[in-house]
Parts: sequence; structure tokens; C-alpha cells
Amino acid sequence: MRVLAAFLLLLLTGCSVAGGSASGRTTVTFRLWDQQVAGAYEESFAAFEKQHRDIDVVVQVVPWADYWTKLPADIAAGTAADIFWTNTSNFGLYADNGHLSPITDGQQAGWTRSVIGLYTRNGKLWGVPQLWDSIALFYHKDLVAKAGVDPATLVWNPSGIGDTFLPAARKLTVDEAGRSADRKDFDPKAIARYGFNAALDHQAIGGDFVGSNGGTWQDGDRFDFAGEPETVAAIQYVVDLINKHHVAPSAADTNTDGDKTLRLFTQGRLALFQSGPYHLKSVQEGAAFDWGLAPLLTGPAGRVSVVHGVAAVASAKTPHPDATAKVLSWIGSAEGVRPIAAGGYGFPGVVAAEPEFTAYWQRQGVDVRPFLDAANGTTFPAPAGPRVQAGTTAALPILQEVFLGRLGVPEGLRRAQDAANQAVAE
Amino acid sequence: MWSRTVANTVTYLLLGLGALITLAPCLLSVQTSLKTPQQFAAASPFAPPAPPSTGSYAALTVGEHTLFPPLVITMQVVIVVVLGQLTCSVLAAYAFACLDLPGREWLFRVYLGTLTVPLTATLVPRFVLVSGLGLRDTFAGIVLPTLFGSPYAIFLLRQFFRGIPADLLDAARIDGAGHLRVLRHVVLPLSRPVLATLLIITVVTHWNEFLWPLIITSGERWRVLTVAVSALQSQHNGDWTLVMAATTLATCPLLILFVLFQKHIVRSITITGLK
Repeated sequence: MRVLAAFLLLLLTGCSVAGGSASGRTTVTFRLWDQQVAGAYEESFAAFEKQHRDIDVVVQVVPWADYWTKLPADIAAGTAADIFWTNTSNFGLYADNGHLSPITDGQQAGWTRSVIGLYTRNGKLWGVPQLWDSIALFYHKDLVAKAGVDPATLVWNPSGIGDTFLPAARKLTVDEAGRSADRKDFDPKAIARYGFNAALDHQAIGGDFVGSNGGTWQDGDRFDFAGEPETVAAIQYVVDLINKHHVAPSAADTNTDGDKTLRLFTQGRLALFQSGPYHLKSVQEGAAFDWGLAPLLTGPAGRVSVVHGVAAVASAKTPHPDATAKVLSWIGSAEGVRPIAAGGYGFPGVVAAEPEFTAYWQRQGVDVRPFLDAANGTTFPAPAGPRVQAGTTAALPILQEVFLGRLGVPEGLRRAQDAANQAVAE
Repeated sequence: MWSRTVANTVTYLLLGLGALITLAPCLLSVQTSLKTPQQFAAASPFAPPAPPSTGSYAALTVGEHTLFPPLVITMQVVIVVVLGQLTCSVLAAYAFACLDLPGREWLFRVYLGTLTVPLTATLVPRFVLVSGLGLRDTFAGIVLPTLFGSPYAIFLLRQFFRGIPADLLDAARIDGAGHLRVLRHVVLPLSRPVLATLLIITVVTHWNEFLWPLIITSGERWRVLTVAVSALQSQHNGDWTLVMAATTLATCPLLILFVLFQKHIVRSITITGLK
């Protein structure tokens, strides 16, 4: 009996741990995968609720690792959040199957154009741009100065003509005896410091190299990378950086550990780190040395950056479309995304809020202009299509073999493309 | 004598090696949890924390990422599920072991057959069902599907109950005891070891349960420990020091349980042949 009483007591305390729900107000749920940005949204929605006292916005965080496991279950059961974050690889499926409401907001002219492009499908826009990423080059100031490398002027070329990047990367790669990779006695088995973060990373490396060589990755919803000579040459160049020139960490380390190159950079063991604004906070917190940002590498077709955006989409099954539309419109306004920009979490999808993000990083002593320039220049689209995620998943193990050097680049790309397109067609 | 010493030395060396391999990841995790994010970012993962920092633990107990609400919810889930499962499993196992009903063996086999269906296969139908009952994102939604016994527990108990001498049960019955009384005064006291074993296995399973609570709840209100720890990681920011501190904290109650019930756990391995 006593056990039962204690048990009931515990149940009651549990109820007090949980918060109560607001009564008499419409509850709109908003789901995202980033705990930190969730704080910025809480701030934003607090301001929104002051203007709309009849609406209560509840922010839900679902961990990134399980976001795409949980979403299909929710969609299938008709219990998805009213508004939720999505990336380009995943929204197409839901848009095509009628699970999303198209966006008809009048504020579109003020949103980041490249992100609007990513979320336009079948002539309709499906998401309100929230954050976007372009690519630039983080560099270790001391290391590049000592090697006499100017990170802002680096040019790569698969033919080797006018290639200033590879010699620079070789100069920046040093073995444990202090010999750089351009010397004959360099020991590639005992590398102490790497020049560049070449790895199987479509956003920060692969897509940018392919784009700046004039290649393509997809043609519509289908993959076409193996048939494009420019694409094959670009991937060959990246793989050679790892396995032939030894200026980048082994794919055995980077294939399965996406954080490996970030950690090497903050440890001072990587001189040039090509990545996106999503790593600004980690680098700022982790690097104990002076670092800077330069534009990403120039290729034969110029500087071409992958641009990826996160958008908020509205579930077509929401029981309260009016309140949902009001919340969507709020997060499509400069006022609504301001806390995201002002907190330095990411470039906001509303152009008018952009200066707040730049100002945040200015105060930290970082000039983020290279990212803006990359986004305003030629860009390379992030993967898109209803089954692109399935295709990418099917191609991954084959591409990993290619980067490990176990499979030749042309043959590996051919096999990866076949597997990907077969998965897309299924 | 000499060969025995050699054999012992070799055995202990091998056991020591095994212990090292098993413990090394845990030690690495504890060591990482005592670093600041800056220390973790600036040096090799194997470098010792210098100086050790308790910042992650502070954030997880009294700070912004406090794990107390998920801890309380996890404890409630475990207590409710364990009580429900043990009660129902004992009753069902008694029926399967000691009652004479038509089709008993057949029913038992069908029920046992559900062991072969993995959770992932029934996940979406189960989710749709529980959502249809309006129990999504509620406490009942988390515990209901596993509340009424598990085939594994029933199987384990039934095998044990069948080993109790029938004469003992008959003697109780001659003395006028009904089924419930036989169960309470004869079968249960004799089954303490297997009940303790089952208790431990059930507690550990549901303490570690991740997928179902993740799917059926949304948001922080009914977040259990495993889901809360997983939520600390975002797409581009691993936050390893915080995550390692959280996993260390989340395993602590199980470690304490292990120390307290070590004897039973070792016996559970010999009873079930499972680890």
C-alpha cells in the first residue's frame, strides 16, 4: 500500500514538472531540429504573441539525428506540427504528395532569392526561407603567413595550368619531422598538419568543386554526375588531394566522422578549412589562434558556392489554417527572424534582417562578407527532388569507396549514379 | 603447481585486457565530460582534461540543459511499466503454466511468436493506433503499449513456474487455497530469484528505451532521458562535452542498480543465458 502511495505521489509530481496548456487560445505548433535556434524562436514568438493574444505558438525540438525518422510517422498519422523546418533534400516528397500548403505570402520579394529557388517546385513556392548557408574558406592566419600563401587568391585547375592552390596546399601540409609535402623526403604516413579539408562533403567541398569546374550533379530530379566530364574531373581532383598528394586527412577518418576536419582546424592541425557559416560558432569557440575568412577557391568556371537553405513549411492538414498563416507570415518578416540573425545563428531568410547577423559577427571580430559574396555570385543548387534523399543514401557507400581510393573515380561515379537513380525511380 | 600459476596469469591477463577494452570507451566519455568545449576543440580527444571542469555537469543539473524533468519522467515510466509488466506477466505465466484450459499450448506459442516481430515493423501501426486514441504526446501514450506484460517475461516466468513441484501446489489446494492464494503464498515466494532477474531486465530495457518515446512525444513536456540526451546534439554542432556528461549522468542510476543487485544480475545471466 505504501509503495502504491509513493508511486501515485511520483505521478503527481510528474504532472507538476510538465507545463499546462493555454486555454481559450489557438495553439500553433512549430518544429525544428536545433536546440540553440529554438531559443531564438521562443524570443521571436514571445513578440508575436504580444500582438496576437489569441494565438499560442509552441516550439518543439526534435533532435537532428531522428528528425527524418519521426517526420514520416507524423505525416502518416496526420499529426505533424502545423509548421516545421525542412531542408531541400526532404521537402520535395511532401510537397509532391500534397502534405504541404503552398506559400502565397506577399512578402516574398524580401526573401533570399536563391533559397526561394530551392523551394520552388512545379511552379509553386513551398517554404518560407529561414536560414541559408554558402561556402567560404576559414584559414589559420599564422600558418598561411609562414608559408607565404594568400588564401584569397587561390585558384585550382584539374589540368594543372595556373593551379596555385595545390602548391599552396602542399606547402601547408607538414609531416612530424617538419617537412612540407612539396619536399621529396616528406613522409605521408606521419602527417602532423594538413593543408586542406578535402573530403566526401557535398555542401562544403564536392558541390563547390563540381560547380567551379562547370559540372552538374543533377538534371531535374535525376543524378547525372557520372556522365559529365567536368564533374568527373572535379571529383578526381578532390580525391587526388587526399590519396595522391596527401594534403588532406584520409577518407578513413572523414567518411564517417563529419566533425573530423572541424576538430583538426580548431586544434591548429589544418590550415585551410572550406566550410559554411554553420561552423562559425564552433570555430569561434574552439580556435585559440587567429583565424580569418577568405572567399572559397576559384575554379576554371570561377567561384561557385553551394547554397543551401532551411525553410519553414506548413502542414496541409493543420486544423487551424488561419492562425498558422499568421505565424508563417510572422517568420517571413524581418521582425520575426531578427532573433536568429541577431544571435549569430545563421544568415536569415529575410534580406532586411541580414545586417543584424553581419553586425553580430563584426562584434566578434569576424568579417562574414565572403559568405555574402558567395551567395550573391554564381551558386550551385543543393540536392533537390522528392526521392533525392533515397538517391543520396544509395550512392553514399559507393562514393565512400571512391574517396578511400578503393574504387576508380569514373567507375565509382558511374556505379554511384546508377544506384542513386535506381533508388530515385523506386 | 607451476602450470597452474601460468594458467592463472594468462587468464587474468586476458580478463584484464577484456576489462580494458570494455571500460576504455566509458573512461574516454567521462574524461571528455570533464573538459570545456574549448579544451575539447583545441587538443586531441585522448588528452586528459587540464584543468578538469565541471561546467557540463552544472549545465545539466542546475543550468539551462537541466536533466531533472526528463529524469523524473523516465523514473515514472519505468516504475509504471515495471509494475504493470510484472503483474500481468506473473498472472499470464501462472495461467500458461498451472491452469488447464483448452488450447493453452497453442495460445502460448502464438503469443511467443510475437517475439519474432521487431518493434520497427509495428512502429507506424502502433503510432497510428495510439494517436487514434488521442494519446499522442501523453504519459499514457508512452507506457500503454508495453504496460501489459511482454512475451519474453511470460516465457521466462512460465518456464520457472513449471519447475515448481506439482505436489507443492496440490498440497496448497487440498488445504483450500484458490489460485490467487496459491500464486501469492506458494509460487511467488519460490520465484524470488527469477522475479529479481526480470525486474532488472525490465528496468534496464525501459530505462534505455528510445525510439518509442521519441516517436510518440513531441516537445519537452514528456521528454525522457534518452531523448533529452539525443536532443543536445544539433546538425553541425556535436557539443561532445555536454553529450558525454549527459550520457555519464544517464548511466549512473543503472550503475548504482548494478552495484546494489550485482548478485542477482550475475544469476540472471546464468538463468537466462542472456547478457
